[in-house]
Amino acid sequence: MDNHVILLVEDNRDDEALTLRALNKNSIRNEIVVAHDGLEALDYLFGEGFYAERNTNSLPEVILLDLKLPKLDGLEVLRRIRADERTRLLPVVILTSSIEDHDRINGYGLGANSYVRKPVDFNEFMEAVRQLGLYWLILNEPPPVRRT
Amino acid sequence: MTYDLQQSSTDAEETIRALQAELAETNRGLIALTWELEQRVDERTAELRAAHDELQRTNAELMQLTLDLEDRVAQRTESEEKFRNLAETASDAILSADSYGKIVYFNPAAERIFSYSSTEIIGQPLTLLMPERFHNAHRQGLDRFLRTGEARVIGKTVELAARRKNGSEFPIELALSSWKTREGAFFTAILSDITERKRAEESLERHRSELAQSNAELAAANKELEAFSYSVSHDLRSPLRSIDGFSQALLDDYAEKLDDNGKNHLLRVRAATQRMGGLIDDLLNLSRVTRTEMRRVKIDLSAVARSITAELERMQPSRQVKFVIEEGLETTADPHLLRIVLENLLGNAWKFTSKRASACIEFAKTHCDGATAYFVRDDGAGFDPVYAKRLFGAFQRLHAMSEFPGTGIGLATVQRIVHRHGGRVWAEGAVERGATFYFTLPETNL
Repeated sequence: MDNHVILLVEDNRDDEALTLRALNKNSIRNEIVVAHDGLEALDYLFGEGFYAERNTNSLPEVILLDLKLPKLDGLEVLRRIRADERTRLLPVVILTSSIEDHDRINGYGLGANSYVRKPVDFNEFMEAVRQLGLYWLILNEPPPVRRT
Repeated sequence: MTYDLQQSSTDAEETIRALQAELAETNRGLIALTWELEQRVDERTAELRAAHDELQRTNAELMQLTLDLEDRVAQRTESEEKFRNLAETASDAILSADSYGKIVYFNPAAERIFSYSSTEIIGQPLTLLMPERFHNAHRQGLDRFLRTGEARVIGKTVELAARRKNGSEFPIELALSSWKTREGAFFTAILSDITERKRAEESLERHRSELAQSNAELAAANKELEAFSYSVSHDLRSPLRSIDGFSQALLDDYAEKLDDNGKNHLLRVRAATQRMGGLIDDLLNLSRVTRTEMRRVKIDLSAVARSITAELERMQPSRQVKFVIEEGLETTADPHLLRIVLENLLGNAWKFTSKRASACIEFAKTHCDGATAYFVRDDGAGFDPVYAKRLFGAFQRLHAMSEFPGTGIGLATVQRIVHRHGGRVWAEGAVERGATFYFTLPETNL
């Protein structure tokens, strides 16, 4: 968690732009890495594929995870994050459109730390992002960094 | 004899004395005999009397026996009459057969059912009334019973097939019994033609399987609906968010490049997207109301109402509203869905009294057509009763959006929930004179 990276896993380009905008407007200056599908997210975390050269000792401070993703869906990504010793403890916030019961049950069941529904109203969205940033990046204590 | 007179007078005196003595003796003897005879007569008379009494007693006993016998014969005849009447008037067929399997009794109902007259069937074998394929089993069963006393069919009610005079088969329900007399074993069968019942059973079975199929189709449709709603929740909201977000971005970043008109356009765009977002949410709720499984538990409606009104007051503390909530309103229903009902009705009452300086909102119960009806009453804007029918239609509104915001789904949702509980919902009101919304929740599960 050295450089306090936020990993945003989001396939929708509009939502990506709006989230980045909201983070920016709320003065959240952390480095934001965007993965556009589940596979890309895992590649980043485990230093594979496109991110083969990345130093995997450095892991994101928090992962903002959408559920509906192409290729590997959000829940599968979560499952793999929790299954690997290296990433097991990472804070994952599910940020998605659906609040269907079964999505929430599965999300929490697989070990998500938080579940936030994306509002339609942009102002509300801004407020949600502000609060997320405030909590996960400032108030919350992340798990200690592992040195391998 | 010659008597010396001298001698004769003493002799005569002696003889007379002797004769007198003899006479006396004889007399005594006679008296004794007479006495004895009288004794014997007495004894005889006593014997005869005793015999006579004995005879009288025997006579009396005989008469009594005769009366008893007559009585029993009368009873037996009456019994026979009763049973004969029973058998003759019974609507079930009653037939008896002897141990050779020959029919000895055939009641009128049997005549009707089998189309044989009693006279033509008496003496015939029972097998005449059965389809060919049962003859062997019947003979074997009869055989076994006569030999071992073991019976598979006796004392039970079974379903079999029987055969009429014209050869046609029909289903019967039969009870068999047997009884022994000095002449041997007899069998009585009481049976009824169950063609109609079988037909009804088949019809019922058909309907059941049709129902099961309908249910399966319904379940499938529900699953499809669920998938659809899920899709809606994700796919429709996303572009809305984009529209809203980038409109706001325009407003924020290009404020100085936009004149008031331009800004206004964007504000309208944002307002419209938010409305659509609300509609989607309401639609989702409405569909969820139909989809979810209901559970019925005891709930305290008064408590639910109180928590909702507390929340309303918390959101807008400046409003002056008096809530009158009847205590102890308990019912059996789905707690989550009933909460939605009260949220909608109380929320509406809150909304439509917002133009008043102060308002009164009541939640209580009343009786209507013998059933308990709950109601939410307010003294707010009310509605024109002419349009009462449209109140519960989806997306139907009786007020302009500018007057009171809303999607028009709330009451449709209320109606759907109440209907799922087997109840009904209706409203009364007048323009500017408030409105009352009633709903019933039948206790019994349909």
